[in-house]
Amino acid sequence: MSFDLNLVLESLPQMLAGFGITLKLLLVSGSLGLVLAIVLLLMRMSGKFYLDWLAQIYIYVFRGTPILVQIFIIYYGLPQFEAVRDSVFWSILREPTGCAILALTLNTGAYVSEILRGGVLGVDKGLLEAGSALGMSARHKLIYITTPLATRLALPAYSNDVISLLKSTALASTITIADMTGIARTIVADTYAPYEVFISLAIVYMIFTLAIQKLFGLFERYLSRHTRRED
Amino acid sequence: MDVLNGWWDDYFWGAVIVAKVFIASLSLMIIFGLLGAAAKLSDNRLAQKIGGAYTVIFRGTPEILVILLLYFGSAIALTALVQLFNPEVRFVDVPPFWAGTIAIALIVGSYATETFRGAFLGVNPGSIEAARALGMSPLQTFFYIRIPEMWRIALPPFGNHMLSLIKDTALISIIGLNETMFVAKQAITVTGKPFTMYIVVGLIYLGFSTIITLTVMGIEKYGNRTTVGAQ
Amino acid sequence: MSDNPTRPLIEMAAVSKFFGDFQALRNIDLVVHKGERIVVCGPSGSGKSTLIRCINRLEKHNEGIITIDGIELTDKVADIDAVRREVGMVFQSFNLFPHMSIIKNLMIAQQLVRKTPKKEAREIAMHYLQRVKIPEQAEKYPIQLSGGQQQRVAIARALCMKPKIILFDEPTSALDPEMINEVLDVMVDLADEGMTMICVTHEMGFARSVADRIIFMDEGEIIEQASPADFFDNPENERTSAFLDQILKH
Repeated sequence: MSFDLNLVLESLPQMLAGFGITLKLLLVSGSLGLVLAIVLLLMRMSGKFYLDWLAQIYIYVFRGTPILVQIFIIYYGLPQFEAVRDSVFWSILREPTGCAILALTLNTGAYVSEILRGGVLGVDKGLLEAGSALGMSARHKLIYITTPLATRLALPAYSNDVISLLKSTALASTITIADMTGIARTIVADTYAPYEVFISLAIVYMIFTLAIQKLFGLFERYLSRHTRRED
Repeated sequence: MDVLNGWWDDYFWGAVIVAKVFIASLSLMIIFGLLGAAAKLSDNRLAQKIGGAYTVIFRGTPEILVILLLYFGSAIALTALVQLFNPEVRFVDVPPFWAGTIAIALIVGSYATETFRGAFLGVNPGSIEAARALGMSPLQTFFYIRIPEMWRIALPPFGNHMLSLIKDTALISIIGLNETMFVAKQAITVTGKPFTMYIVVGLIYLGFSTIITLTVMGIEKYGNRTTVGAQ
Repeated sequence: MSDNPTRPLIEMAAVSKFFGDFQALRNIDLVVHKGERIVVCGPSGSGKSTLIRCINRLEKHNEGIITIDGIELTDKVADIDAVRREVGMVFQSFNLFPHMSIIKNLMIAQQLVRKTPKKEAREIAMHYLQRVKIPEQAEKYPIQLSGGQQQRVAIARALCMKPKIILFDEPTSALDPEMINEVLDVMVDLADEGMTMICVTHEMGFARSVADRIIFMDEGEIIEQASPADFFDNPENERTSAFLDQILKH
């Protein structure tokens, strides 16, 4: 049992070839998931009980089941129905990448919606009262008071969720996608050198994670300029 | 629903394995989390570094990589170890149950580290001072004041960690643990109904999540009986 | 809204307010005329804050009629908006928007609600910042100011909307003692200029020197209304004298 550095140097470039796919999965499902999260949040805040319930059930189901099960239901499960195979969505759903993006989007949307809601609920009620007392309309309060403050409050939890999403993209390898993890698993199957391959890939993911944290840290610093007593 | 006939008992035993993994990994997760928090809070620089590295590594690496590495890696390590004594042995198999259980306990334990650490620091220093001023010994202060207060702070995130654990058990099917995902796969090869079979898995997990959520809610309600105001 | 000199600015008739089973206001009758300065006092939980919060409908009353400058407060959003344009409010916890600079705090509602052009809104904001004597803090964020300064900004923010009435909800209760006077000074100045004010406060010195009328509340009811002289020296009701004994004892 030894750690073969040459193998690391050989396999790293191969794995990094899958970086583009990992990044694509992260960015596309991350942005679509954010849109979905906002829609779910608006449904929950709509004051219409049926919209609220619908959103709550959705969130409950997608947060209560493993993401792997969701990926498998979409990739392996949906083609069971002829209606799906005949539909316009088939061009997306027959591609593993389309399925992975759909599953990741639906999953992260549920989590992020709860994070955003936490931010909205965290906004000091007194500020909204001050807005009302000044005659601001509900829409104005939402745009000028709730949104900027809730964004700032939700950001740390949101950055954690983006990191979770990055880690979930690795599950795309279970449905034949050649992302970084998928390539690594192929290499390990050939070389049977799990230490070298998986540890070096883990380091790549960690660097990616730290980069995401750093980026959000900067953004948070920018949004928090009003919370510092000194200039 | 006829296709499910004959598979119910397989799903049941799969669910039993999920429950077993959950209980085993929950105990380990609490131990890892407490050790991690103790390391991070200690005055020893080395311990702080180790605690810090533990959280960075396991929060920054995809779950599936940790599971694969622990499974294949420990098999290789064990084989090498056994070969020292008996060179005849070709390969030692590691049970996926334990490789997977330890892997998800390590992952979620890294999150629990932060929860326990935050709870320890979140205890109102005034309560501690008051207890000391009343003449309580450090040990009494720890058990009667600090632990109960910590518990109340840690419980809500701890509930989320339990949900992460139960959902992460699904990933252990990747290394061949015969839990519900594995059962579904077998059932699909026979029946050709992937959607139905994976939906059953989803419902089983939803059931587990519901039980955990309700339990945590019950404990929280009990724990918060002293903090609900008169109004 | 037209200025009718004889019509009262605020008229409350048989107003009641419930929070669940708890009755916060009982049958309140109150009339306030232009230029009047009214102090509301009473023990905690007596309904003082709820009373003034009903006037700009931060709380919705359940029974009775509230009319502000001729507009009856109902669920009609347009009416509520109209009333809120004329009624300013200063809160116990300041409630400055933490993510906006001081000047932006003073401009935002002018621009959104009054549709004042930006340049003019800034001039008005600076004018009132000068009146509360902190123009040099215009570009800072609220957290960089002391509590007393923040509350003066909050008063300036209310004034920027050119309200006909200002409601003060315990404006000095959250302040350190050494900052209370700087806020009270601003309020005295306002009173001297003839602003109509309703002020919930425990500052009895302020009440005695500024108020035209003092209202004492307990358990959601108005127990006594009197001029400061009568109120402090010849309280009619037992509960009033008990309360005064409590707060003037030391």
